[in-house]
Amino acid sequence: MSSEKNNASGAKRSTSDPLNDLRLGAARKRLAESRNEEDAIEGLREIVANLLGCEEIGLFRVDRRTATVQLCWSFGVDLENYDLLQALGNAGLQRVMSGECHIDLPNIDLPSRDRFGATAKAQAFVPIRVANQTIAILAILRLLPQKLAFDRADMELFKLLSDEAAKPLFGPGAHSTTATEGPGMTA
Amino acid sequence: MSKKILVVDDSKTALMMEREILERRTSYQCVTASDGQEAVEKAQQERPDLILMDVVMPRMNGFEACKMMRQQPSTREIPIVLVTTRGEESYMEAGFKSGCNDYITKPVNGAELVALIQGYLGE
Repeated sequence: MSSEKNNASGAKRSTSDPLNDLRLGAARKRLAESRNEEDAIEGLREIVANLLGCEEIGLFRVDRRTATVQLCWSFGVDLENYDLLQALGNAGLQRVMSGECHIDLPNIDLPSRDRFGATAKAQAFVPIRVANQTIAILAILRLLPQKLAFDRADMELFKLLSDEAAKPLFGPGAHSTTATEGPGMTA
Repeated sequence: MSKKILVVDDSKTALMMEREILERRTSYQCVTASDGQEAVEKAQQERPDLILMDVVMPRMNGFEACKMMRQQPSTREIPIVLVTTRGEESYMEAGFKSGCNDYITKPVNGAELVALIQGYLGE
């Protein structure tokens, strides 16, 4: 991850690539300018579709009181019966709960050009964090056929979402319900 | 006078990013529209030098807007680049049938976008 610093307007920017800075800036501005939680969800969908190249997304809310992770929104794919724990595995879930992104890399022989073909392997699970705790998990599932894999710039965008999406998505009072971290969580 | 690009997308994120890239990395001026119908109207009013347009939009999609602009003398010759998440061949064919000059897929690579537009407009 590249280092970050503040520019004259106070907005954080990476030091790696000016074009990527503009991309991150657009994502940051879209989240910050969300009118309400519904608009923030739409903003999240726009960011993942337009900047990352994925139209199959799920957002799971972490409930620490009941030690569960529940689907609260999805787009482009039916995730009603999706087993997040199975997708991530115990170790993966623990990592995401502790603040790391979990990324499954694509097979080397990707891709077929069929939009709905069985090519999808690349997927990412991004922790949405407040006060050093994961309060939700963003599942970025099958990538568009023209997007072969995640790159370094995408990692910077994941970090931005992890750090800055919670408040617009869940309101200023967004927080976790207890201090426990990870173990015992079920999906 | 700087050349003018009409950027059309119903996604605020895409509009923001494309506009930022073009205005900060080139000398072009940008105007925006958020659907195909507004794009047709803005194209007539603003007479842009190039149109960068999404496909899947409410009210009027990019293919329909492109066809309509090709039927009107004032917008017939303006280069149109369609920008969309839909990379399937059938969509690309539909794009070129509608009269677009180029077709690129999202996520947009900023450097490639600038190079493509400079190819049409020069810098």
